[in-house]
Order: sequence, then structure tokens, then C-alpha cells
Amino acid sequence: MRSVGGVDGLMKNIKDATGTVDEPREVELGHGITETLLGARPLLDDPALQRYVNEVGRWVAQQSERPLLPWRFGVNDSEHVNAFAAPGGYVIVTRGMLRVVRNEAELAGVLGHEVAHVVRKHHLNALRKGAWVNLLGAGAAAGTAGEQGGELVEALVGPTKELYARGLDKDDEFEADRIGVVLATRAGYDPWGLPAALQTLGTLKTDDPYLALLFKTHPNPGARLDELGVAMAANFDGFQGLPTNADRYLAATKKMRSTPPQAESKK
Amino acid sequence: MTLGYRWLLLIAALAAIPAWAQQNAAYVVRETDLKAKPFLDAEALGKLPEKATVTVLKRQGGWNQVKSGALEGWVPMLRLRLGNPDPKKNTTSIAAITGSFNQRPGAGPTATTGVRGFSEEDLKAAKPAPEEVKKLDDFAVSAGDAAAFAAAGKLTARTVAYVDADGKPVPVKK
Repeated sequence: MRSVGGVDGLMKNIKDATGTVDEPREVELGHGITETLLGARPLLDDPALQRYVNEVGRWVAQQSERPLLPWRFGVNDSEHVNAFAAPGGYVIVTRGMLRVVRNEAELAGVLGHEVAHVVRKHHLNALRKGAWVNLLGAGAAAGTAGEQGGELVEALVGPTKELYARGLDKDDEFEADRIGVVLATRAGYDPWGLPAALQTLGTLKTDDPYLALLFKTHPNPGARLDELGVAMAANFDGFQGLPTNADRYLAATKKMRSTPPQAESKK
Repeated sequence: MTLGYRWLLLIAALAAIPAWAQQNAAYVVRETDLKAKPFLDAEALGKLPEKATVTVLKRQGGWNQVKSGALEGWVPMLRLRLGNPDPKKNTTSIAAITGSFNQRPGAGPTATTGVRGFSEEDLKAAKPAPEEVKKLDDFAVSAGDAAAFAAAGKLTARTVAYVDADGKPVPVKK
């Protein structure tokens, strides 16, 4: 294994560069990160639901400044309540989150929050600010997804685990909430979907194990609602009465809701 | 192992009650007018002091219809928080609100070690799964398909400015 030496060797290539990561490299990084995220828990085997979440997510992402990214949305088979984004347009939401969410407008808000992380490059910037800038160098310098691409994925595993267990800065989360609300509204949904989902989360036991990672990596729901209350103010009063599409959401998630999770291992 | 009879009973019980219908206790985060209608300039029926508790009847856009004693009226949704003013005193488990299957009745809060999912431990133990990322391609949706989906759901794209943390509209950032 020569990944460390290889990454070091590639470092000088970005010393000359501006430090920006072009879009193909960003997608490559996101692909590598998502390999580890889905390694923790695979996708849910429910093609119709996967497709539905992509339809909602893509429509929301189309309202952003980056409609042309190769957006990929997925539901993983975890009862833990959470959602993740990775650079380049990867968004994963857990089935546990889909159980908390009650309609399509809430889902649009949750996905809009994740789309915002991608659009504002929050994870990319966190990697850049961290001790992992040389990974970006490896990504930027790798000409093809050959040997060096595999090397990149391997080198990303540690930073991915660290970043996604630690979370982003809270200001990134508050910004993603504000953008998520706007993207959902641009998409024609009831703007209060994300706040409604946060209100639900705010009713739950703060030490519930299924919320532990979400609550560790995000400001608490009350603080997020306080921030959204100030930011939304009266700005969305002209958008009362927009669709929540609860029926379509409940139909799309019915199978998932009525199926127990796969084996609870007792190890 | 097949699904036991007790499980079926539980499923039936959970299916019968929309879980969120039970989640209707709320309090106001600061002094707020109780309005006769869901509009800023609607008549005020009274004032709800900070932390006054209410029962949420329904939501309509950015407003919640609530019951406060004998009075019914409307308050802005973001003036309300569901549940307990001290979140540490919340008692609702995720299983209770989602009707999910992840905790057997009476199993207590220790289920975390037995259930695989996306916990911090699961993340730390993860090995890259390239085949799972490839599967995402199968479900990807084009811009055109997304627009058709939106139309079927009576969703119309709108022009809406981003807002900053103080609630001021900001131009689109490129």
C-alpha cells in the first residue's frame, strides 16, 4: 500500500494551483465519501421509494445554482434518524428520517438542507480547512479514475469517518436550513416543511440512541427553529397554502413504513 | 424468525393511531398574540405569555391553530415549540413517534448496541461499498423527469430570494 507516499507525491501539484477543486474532482471526492457512508449501512431495497426520493430531491436541486450536477439521492436502511450530503451532489437520507417526516414538503425541506451543503460546498471546505488538504490535492492531481482513483478512495476513508462523526460548523447548518427552506419554496412546496420536521425532532428524547449522531453533529432543533424564526420572519407570508403533498408521500413510503427493518443483530 | 403475534398486535395498534396526532402539546417561545385568523393583521383574541402551553389543533402554512383554555385561535408556527420547554425532559422515543419497529415494548433504552444502522459506531466500522454507490445511478432522475413529477404534484416553480440570518433577502450567490 503506497497511498500515503502517493498522496505526498501529488501534493506539489496543487501547491501551484489556486486551491480550488474543479467539478469532476468534486464529484469524484463525493463518490469516494459516499462509498464509506453507504459502507456503514447499505441502501434500502425499495426501488420505487428510491426513485421517489430522487424525484423530490432532483426537483429541489433544480432550484439551486447547481442544477447541472449529477445529483444522486438515496435512502439507506437505517432506523437512525439522519441525512447526509457529500460533495458533487450525493445525498443520503435514512429510512428513520423518512419515518419522522410526514409529507413531501417536509421531505423537500430536509433534502433542500442537504442540497444546500453541496451547493455551498460545506464539506469540501471543511476538508480543505482540516488536515486533509492533501487529499484534495490527490483528487485534483489524479488524471483518471485508475490506480490513483482507488488510492483516493482509500485515503478518504479516515477523513470521511472523522468529518461525518464530528459534523460541520453550526453556522453551516443554520445556513443550510435557510437555503433548504428557500429551495423547497422555489420548488413550489409549503415553506414550513423543514420547520415542521424540526419541530417533530424537538419533541423527542434528547438521549434517544436513534438520534445520537444527528444531535451530536447538529445544533439542537430548538436552536435551529429560533434561527429560522428570525431568518424567515415575514419573508414567506406570501407563500401560504402551497402543497404539502402528504398523500403522495404516504403512498410512496407505505411499504417502507409497514416493513420492519432487516435483522436486528443481537451481537 | 417470523413476525410474532405480539408484533402484529403492535403493528395494528400503531397503524390505527397516526403517531403525530398524539404530539400536540406545545408552548410559545415568547409573548404572542392569539389571533382570530391566520393573518398578521387579524384580530387578537388575547395574549399568550412566554412559555404558555397550548394544544395544537392543526397547521396551515406558517400558522398553527391552537387551543388555550377555552379559547381557540392562531399563532405563527415559529413562535411555537412542540413538547417540553426543557428538551431534556422530553419522554417521547423515536419508536413511539414513528411507529417503527426498532424497540420492543419495555426493551428500554439499551437497544442501541443491538441494532445495526447509521450510528457513530457503525460509521467508524464502515468499509467502502463502491457497489452501493453504483446502485444510485439506477434511481437517478433527469431534470425533465423531475419537472414532470413536479407538475403531477401541482408544484409550480417560484422566484424566491435567499434570506440571511437576520431575515434580509440576499442575492443568489454563484
